[in-house]
Amino acid sequence: MDSPSSSELLLRKIVTPGAVRAAARTSARGLGLIGLFALVACSTVRPEEKEFLAQPSMTFGSGGEDAAQEDHVISNREGSYGGGGVSGGGCGCN
Amino acid sequence: MQLSVTPARWSALACGLAIAAVAACSSHVSAQVRASTTATYYRESGANLSHQAITPSVRVSGVVRDVVSLRLGWDADVVSGASVAVVDAPGGDVDAITSATKWSDFRNNVTGGIGVRGEYTSLDVNYTWGRESDYRSHSFTITGRAELFDRNTTLELGYGRGFDQVCNLAQPRAQEPVDRQRLPSSDGCFDADDRESLDLSLQTFRGGWTQAWTPIFATQLSVSAQVINGFQGNPYRAVWLGRAAAQENHPENRVRYVGNLGARLWVQPLRGALQLAGRVYRDTWDVFSVTAELAWEQRLWDGLSVRLRGRYYNQTGAHFFSDDYGRAPRGQYFTGDRELSPMSSWLAGGRVRLDLPAGDDGKVGPFAAFAIVGVFDMLFYDFREFRYGRREVPNDKGMLATLSLEAEF
Repeated sequence: MDSPSSSELLLRKIVTPGAVRAAARTSARGLGLIGLFALVACSTVRPEEKEFLAQPSMTFGSGGEDAAQEDHVISNREGSYGGGGVSGGGCGCN
Repeated sequence: MQLSVTPARWSALACGLAIAAVAACSSHVSAQVRASTTATYYRESGANLSHQAITPSVRVSGVVRDVVSLRLGWDADVVSGASVAVVDAPGGDVDAITSATKWSDFRNNVTGGIGVRGEYTSLDVNYTWGRESDYRSHSFTITGRAELFDRNTTLELGYGRGFDQVCNLAQPRAQEPVDRQRLPSSDGCFDADDRESLDLSLQTFRGGWTQAWTPIFATQLSVSAQVINGFQGNPYRAVWLGRAAAQENHPENRVRYVGNLGARLWVQPLRGALQLAGRVYRDTWDVFSVTAELAWEQRLWDGLSVRLRGRYYNQTGAHFFSDDYGRAPRGQYFTGDRELSPMSSWLAGGRVRLDLPAGDDGKVGPFAAFAIVGVFDMLFYDFREFRYGRREVPNDKGMLATLSLEAEF
């Protein structure tokens, strides 16, 4: 029986079951991203259709300083406060 | 001569700087300037563990020639109340709460930032300096944004870095955690020989995606990760371990992961917006939490809008939390922090915003626009496993009120 060539040995090393699964996962993620990108690109709202989207109540982060303070006071009394910023908040000592 | 800087002086300095910034920007021909002042009052009451916090703030921002934005702000936390110094001490069910230690503190934060805008992109840099008697912090953030597809898509990337210092009682580094004593008070912090300063380092990575899907529907997804390294306990608090009490001992490393999803839907027949938000959090201390929020914002008539909201929060406890370390220890770490126990909370509240009508000259007095905002929330906490001895947490209800004035020049 012929011994495998060096290129066959190299191929066997590369094409392991784990490598195939990893490649499939990466491809699925890539296809998912492409699909999402296509969906986003197709869902165009024209400028003249943005009357309602421009309302303060439809704008993310439009709450102003009062909303920021409200969040600060509430989330400081929970174990999962922060995580989204780095501003110094004391040690939560009290 | 040493200049003593009192909280009142800090407030006066911050207000002075803010007014100076407004004046400087207003004098510029093509500058748009906004200023706001806000005060929030929070109160928890219950037996001797009542707690209150007043948070005043001043913010000024200006945009010069639609390209450069400048921000300057000051805020403070004026907190007072009483807390249990040694959690679960023997007889704690009898006198821990009634003999709670009274305390008060004043925290100042000064922040400044600059931003540059292009037609579809922007870059913002911020710096915040924080100081209180037992805590110091410096933090920097940088955020970049890009608008795509007719401005229907906004992508955002941010990075933050924090350098904090916590005051503690000077104790030998080789000392076992179970032998460490709690910090009795903030007297002498950062100066006295029997005090030490412990570092806390924070790094935050954040990504965001805002999408307008239809003329009445938009969503926002954001994810963030935060890496914290350093002293993360409360230096004033001790925990009863069965034979003696020791300063609480938290792990020095914590990595937090947060995912937020928000959605907004305009309901034209009612001329209002339905606002939904969800948040999922997980960290390496095994705290897992979910938050759900539902709000409705309605414009009643020109200039007057009302927002009603409900919020539910639920979390698991940290893996080292125990309500009785004498009988049920959890390894080398121990905490007396009720916020690391399994808990949940409900919030119900409302917000009213009144934009004062402009006169014939298009102005509101000396301002281009002026608004008054009022917020009121009630909070109800449920600490399922946390007890002071055999006593349940007495201060499990909170009230929050905010008044804000916003002006545009």
